[in-house]
Amino acid sequence: MDRRQFVAGSAAAATLVAAGPSRAQDAYPSRPITLINPFPPGGAADVVGRPFAALLEPLVKQPVVIETKAGAAGAVGAQFAASANPDGYTLLIHIVSISGFAEVDKLFGRAAKFTRADFIPIARFIADPMVLLVNDKQPYTSLKELVDDLKKNPEKLIFSSSGLYGALHLPTALFMQAAGIKMKHLPTNGGGPALTALIGNNSNVLVSSIAAASGQMKAGKARALACFGDKRAPVLPNVPTLKELGYNIEFYLWVGLFAPKGTPDPIVSRLREESRKVAISDRFKQAMNNIGQDVAYLDQPEFRAFWDADAKRVEDAVRQIGKV
Amino acid sequence: MESTIDSLLLGFSVAFRPDVLLYAFLGCLVGTLVGMLPGIGPLAGISILLPVTFGLDATKAIVMLAGIYYGSQYGGSTTSILMRIPGEASSVMTCIDGYAMAQRGRAGAALCIAAVGSFIAGTFGVLALTVIAPPLGAFALRFGPPEYTALLILGLVFLAYMSSTSLARTLLMAGLGLMLGCIGIDVMTGHFRYAFDIPALGDGIGVVPVAVGLFGLGEILSTPSKSVTAQVVTPRLAELLPSRQEWRQSAMPIARGTLLGFVVGVIPGSAHIISSFLSYALEKRISKHPEEFGKGAVAGVAGPESANNAASTGAFVPMLALGLPTGPVTAVLMAALLIHGVPPGPMLVNDHPEVFWGFIASMYVGNLMLLALNLPLVGMFVTVLRIPYSYLYPLIVMFCIIGVYEVNHSVVDVWIMLIMGVVGYLLRKFDFDPAPLVLGLVIAPTFELSLRQSLVMSSGNWTIFFERPIAGTLLAVSIGLLAYSGIAALFRRGDWRASLAKAEIGDKN
Amino acid sequence: MSAVILRRDHIAGGAFVAGSMLVYAASGDLPFGSLASPGAGMLPTLVLTLTTLLGFALLAGAGGSPPLTSIDWSDAPHALRVVVACALATALYVTLGFLATMSLLLFGLIYLVERRAIVRAAMVSLGVALVAYAVFGSLLKSPLPRGLIWF
Repeated sequence: MDRRQFVAGSAAAATLVAAGPSRAQDAYPSRPITLINPFPPGGAADVVGRPFAALLEPLVKQPVVIETKAGAAGAVGAQFAASANPDGYTLLIHIVSISGFAEVDKLFGRAAKFTRADFIPIARFIADPMVLLVNDKQPYTSLKELVDDLKKNPEKLIFSSSGLYGALHLPTALFMQAAGIKMKHLPTNGGGPALTALIGNNSNVLVSSIAAASGQMKAGKARALACFGDKRAPVLPNVPTLKELGYNIEFYLWVGLFAPKGTPDPIVSRLREESRKVAISDRFKQAMNNIGQDVAYLDQPEFRAFWDADAKRVEDAVRQIGKV
Repeated sequence: MESTIDSLLLGFSVAFRPDVLLYAFLGCLVGTLVGMLPGIGPLAGISILLPVTFGLDATKAIVMLAGIYYGSQYGGSTTSILMRIPGEASSVMTCIDGYAMAQRGRAGAALCIAAVGSFIAGTFGVLALTVIAPPLGAFALRFGPPEYTALLILGLVFLAYMSSTSLARTLLMAGLGLMLGCIGIDVMTGHFRYAFDIPALGDGIGVVPVAVGLFGLGEILSTPSKSVTAQVVTPRLAELLPSRQEWRQSAMPIARGTLLGFVVGVIPGSAHIISSFLSYALEKRISKHPEEFGKGAVAGVAGPESANNAASTGAFVPMLALGLPTGPVTAVLMAALLIHGVPPGPMLVNDHPEVFWGFIASMYVGNLMLLALNLPLVGMFVTVLRIPYSYLYPLIVMFCIIGVYEVNHSVVDVWIMLIMGVVGYLLRKFDFDPAPLVLGLVIAPTFELSLRQSLVMSSGNWTIFFERPIAGTLLAVSIGLLAYSGIAALFRRGDWRASLAKAEIGDKN
Repeated sequence: MSAVILRRDHIAGGAFVAGSMLVYAASGDLPFGSLASPGAGMLPTLVLTLTTLLGFALLAGAGGSPPLTSIDWSDAPHALRVVVACALATALYVTLGFLATMSLLLFGLIYLVERRAIVRAAMVSLGVALVAYAVFGSLLKSPLPRGLIWF
């Protein structure tokens, strides 16, 4: 099936939440907690959210249910969470692209359906630096060769992405702007299809998270030329960062937990505390290692600071891409 | 080859371990259930049970989750045949002739043929997966946007054979489907199309609500209970099984559907959905009695059901051979492998042979289990038809609503289903066939995306479709088919279509 | 003489022509783009052109289609009742929850629309809803909506 399968009814479903009996006087949580996953199953938010939910359950002594509300590259689920009752029973797991939606709406002259201010950040769990990949049919062995060639032959290469203004498109746009080069854009409808396009040589360049591409890199089907982290990734010690190469760009595929605006402080601090316990547990570390990630936990204050800085990068990238 | 046999033996030694057998059985059981109930498709079934597998090792987890996936393809035909509710897009074609067979009292036969066809297709699929997965994987990778566009054009050409109404009516329905498919955010430019700022429409209209509305609810709306006379179809046991003649009629469609489905399934992306449409059109095209289609043709059940099962197995090829998630279901399976510490990728066979071959071997076993599970159930399902219609149709209405709601937990989807039920009722009054509409809706997003991607790749040069060998071949076949039908229509006036047209003209005067 | 009679395809073809033009008017701001970078309006424009032309084709051949009056609408009252029942059920679904809505829907259809015995209708409705609720909720771990009244 395709992305169209994942239509979700935000407005109507919001009544579902509102209809639940509110028993504020009970100790939180007194009933199951719903964790909204705004992406199709198997995505970054899902593979982080499921172990998190499983480990959170025994701590809060209530079921933690993951509800997939995928659609519109994560906007449908985010909007659902933004308009949910802020009682701590509806939480959101989202990724870096949460910062871009309002900016895209502004670009099209639409009223933003939600902004960053509609969410309270609670914790960040992972932050995987992106890598710039070329497939094995390309001759480039360093980023410099790629940039030089593209300067001589603009639009010679095609890059694929998971969709317009998506988590894979934004860093590519930032890099192209910094390097002063142009490539043709092949948007697809997901991270999987974008990688498939690269391996099948229907596109030549892809900026992807390390975890998603590690299998193909190990098999030699894709070659990393640069890393978007502030230091080299432990699994790719020979790949230079963009900063080393003289481009001041950082970009991470991070996954964090959010609560709707207006969630009472005691509930937020309880969630912070339990999230911290989960994030530093060995079982969570193990689960993250299995998906090729290191836990990069940030508590609320640090996460908020990181998110503010990161959102600037994302908004810049959206403006840079502009209306297509 | 020898190494393949050795590896397969290793796989069977894993698959026959009692604990692995148990999880394969559990997967198949849940899959059958998930497939039968409308709405909860394989994707939801797998995601729901994913956390349950956290405590298991990778082999058991993947064996069980894959069991849900291919098991659900067996059950998918049940509601289509008995109640005309297509549980998912690939069952739409089964609704047409399967339900017609059920109305003629051949529900048992239709269910048996669907189960046996699924078994043959599934087993053949695994066999092909065992022997030729790596070269096939390489072939699948050559399917880029231009190839996709060409394949879908071929699908549209086949459309003309799919429907019993005139070409103009068929194309109008397909156009309506394509337009419905345009609703939502445009992937290439971010424009909100025809969604009127309703975020739930951002991802477009789902296939399940439309198909369930047009077929399931539409049927009920145009069948008032007083027109269903008291004679309830009560099949005796002997009539549950297909007759010798029905077996004979289904043999070749099963074989063709299996081959076609597997090849289409291997192609990355959502091509497997169209396998059952293609198979139906193919069977109708080459049948000696195309006029029987829509009125309970055995081939119209056997072909598409085999095709969608073979396609679901074929979809494992890119995942296993290349480590690429090519559809939502394989993406979840890959995530499951990841969570269990087995990174899927081209190196999977070498790094984790026990997982890879154990998985393959368990699919042989699983297909047998599914046949054993499904055939005895046929008798039970058919008794559903003994329920008096005035009690049965409210149940069907309820299943339509649950099924559509459960796909995305969206009430908007239920409204869409309801509107489509009314549309289906009206279309029937004006002699339109809804099947091409569903096909149009299914292919619209992929067709548009791949067409525009191809043009981006070639900087607006149309020749890209003819320069690439696979795309060129597919287009040549499409053109050939069109030319052939054109010539046939001109010269062979005895052609059934021509005689139908004549009959229509006769009606007019 | 036949030109005066309104026929089936007059309505069908006319509906498609009018509908296509209406949708085309509603999609004015979607850019068609160029061949090298096709825009969001390309496919809709192509398809709408096709449906308009085919709508005219239906109109042109409409003289041969059966007259409008020959369409049998005797099933319409039943269809209308079912649609109204479903619409009510859909509107109430998430508020009242699965059990309440579905037993009411079943009861409404069996008793009010089909005029079956009231006791039996009530028992069947509640029983079926309970079984479905249990199957989805506990066996498939995909709970159906809970409402205000039950749970």
